[in-house]
Amino acid sequence: MLELRNVSFSYSGQTDGGLRSISLRIPNGECVLLCGRSGCGKTTVTRLINGLIPNFYPGTLEGEVLLDGKPIAEIPMYQIAGRVGSVFQNPRTQFFNVDTDSEIAFGIENKALPPIELSRRVKLTSKELGIEGLQNRNIFQLSGGEKQKIAFASVYAMNPDVYLLDEPSSNLDMASIRALGDYVRLIKSQGKTILIAEHRLYYLMEVADRIVYLEQGEIAGSYTPREFCKLSGSERRKMGLRAIDLREESPECPAALQSGLTLELKDISLFHKKRIILEHISLKARQGEVIGVAGYNGAGKTTFSRALCGLHKECSGSFLWNDEPMNHKKRLRLSYLVMQDVNYQLFAESVEAECTFGIKNPDRELTKQTMEELGLLSFRKRHPNTLSGGQKQRVAAAVSLISGKELLIFDEPTSGLDYDSMAQVGGLILTLAALGKIVFVVTHDYEFICRTCTRVLHFNRGKMQDDFLVSTENETKLRNLFSIDL
Amino acid sequence: MMGQNQILPLWLDPRTKILLLLLCVLSAMAAPSLQYEFLLVAGIGILGILCGKWKYALKGIVFYAMVYLFTVWAMNSMTGTLRNMFVAFLGLFHKVFPCGMLSGIVISTTKVSEFLSAMNHIHAPKKLIIPLAVMLRYIPTIGEDWRYIKDAMRMRDVSPSFQGFITNPGITIDCVYVPLMMAASKAADELSVAAVTRGIENPNPRTCLIQIRLGAGDAFTTLCFAAFFLAGMYLKEAG
Repeated sequence: MLELRNVSFSYSGQTDGGLRSISLRIPNGECVLLCGRSGCGKTTVTRLINGLIPNFYPGTLEGEVLLDGKPIAEIPMYQIAGRVGSVFQNPRTQFFNVDTDSEIAFGIENKALPPIELSRRVKLTSKELGIEGLQNRNIFQLSGGEKQKIAFASVYAMNPDVYLLDEPSSNLDMASIRALGDYVRLIKSQGKTILIAEHRLYYLMEVADRIVYLEQGEIAGSYTPREFCKLSGSERRKMGLRAIDLREESPECPAALQSGLTLELKDISLFHKKRIILEHISLKARQGEVIGVAGYNGAGKTTFSRALCGLHKECSGSFLWNDEPMNHKKRLRLSYLVMQDVNYQLFAESVEAECTFGIKNPDRELTKQTMEELGLLSFRKRHPNTLSGGQKQRVAAAVSLISGKELLIFDEPTSGLDYDSMAQVGGLILTLAALGKIVFVVTHDYEFICRTCTRVLHFNRGKMQDDFLVSTENETKLRNLFSIDL
Repeated sequence: MMGQNQILPLWLDPRTKILLLLLCVLSAMAAPSLQYEFLLVAGIGILGILCGKWKYALKGIVFYAMVYLFTVWAMNSMTGTLRNMFVAFLGLFHKVFPCGMLSGIVISTTKVSEFLSAMNHIHAPKKLIIPLAVMLRYIPTIGEDWRYIKDAMRMRDVSPSFQGFITNPGITIDCVYVPLMMAASKAADELSVAAVTRGIENPNPRTCLIQIRLGAGDAFTTLCFAAFFLAGMYLKEAG
């Protein structure tokens, strides 16, 4: 039994993510889904339960958090770890070992189980989670979805009573999200108590017993799944929540203006260390198109986008811009990639300085106009690192406009975003398209594709399997691509 | 595929590796001659090859051999201030290089779990072990970060090369330093959280899936390095 009694918390030196008088009882075996906008405090609730607050994140805490009637603050971290298992958002920084077996054993090694028991549990865990194929592999070479499975397995091997999952699906493709849903069902059937903080809701609708909605650090609603599914689309969107049922989403097909200059790819094949990644890709794109790039993790989407903007050089075939061939240097001058982790591409000490960073004679008027168009003018003196994820993407987009790029590529721009932020990214991309840019969006997000893209490319098994317009006629195709049953 | 699948000629206990590092530092300090240092680097190279890091080891030896030849040439044919300048710089380089090369081999061949249980065996305090383990784990992520940063730089027309650094040092430093620091602080936090929530702070001695024990290989390697160090000391006294 987990209980939060009138808990208030605020992080020191930070206004976001605090909680105000939260009371919540979770009986054993219940599966609770926490949802709400970014910064509403759902992650904070999970941190109260796994003891990271107050042990790791300092702040002012009032009220009591009880695990089986005992205050968590009085239990040492390592003992909480044995009873409460946590899986986090970012698969990259969750593992501690280089090989999968040691990683699955990490938690139980800390518990100091005898070595024979260790290998027995590792085997059993791999079998029960169906990841025998991942045994004895280098974790750095796994895909994000596989890494997340290993992270889950490491917690599963410890056999805790309570599972906390903090936005576990943010970086996963559709197949991995489905596998994650299966895992949650498995632990639920074992009678575990489960608490999940998530933006993506659809894959948990059948397994959750209760859905708790948080708003600005307070519990603003508690629903059974049936009540929750009755919420109308507009109510849900007003609450800042993502789709509950993907079957209800359908293409909105924003009209592409499709004019002017074209990009043409003629029989492009991509290699990595002489191995073929993708072959025989031919396509034409016009200014104003927003092209979604879909496919499983590892299908070559990233290599494709890096090749498109001239960062990946191992390729054959020709890229034409207005019938003129472009080598990788020319492509690099013409295009810009907004990375999934946009922090890597922000260097300067203010938004304004960022916009003109590295440009010898920046056009002041253009800079100001671009910042205004993208709604950045009011932040222009702020340090880019103090902005939210969506705002950082805007800064990166502004940079690309000011340096005169024509071809923009977004890599997973909506991972881990709530409804509002997703809608804003969509708005940003449509603005860019209206300015006559060609936009490619690498994404796993069906809801987002429906709202934003005019066309979808599907990569699988080393080939471009499909290339079609996002329209009502092609809805079945699109749903098949994301394995959404009708 | 994983290094674990290949059968390596030599597997060393992390405790031995730390001892080797210590002996290597001492040998480099005591080095009586340039030839002695070359032998030290060659020895480290052989160790690297035996540990399965043959590419790294060969690159290290070839690079060192080039600097070695340059040093011999500089000592014989340069004169005046230029010679003094080079000799001072190269002297430092020859002391640091073997230790750096060995550290590279040690870090890349040590698994975090092996390291943790070795530290447990010698009863090192948790307060020391945990940050070291996080650091050891963080090192390979720098490689990943660096790839993203290089891409980001190229798109901003900043060349991520030595030449770029020389022509435009300020901008290059900003481009590398700012994102790397941001990524590092975030990764260190997340890694620590992942470790703490899986009970790394348990005061009871940790067990390990892969049993570590000191074997003949450890004894032999330590003896070689110790003998080499003593020989260096002797030569220095004699010389």
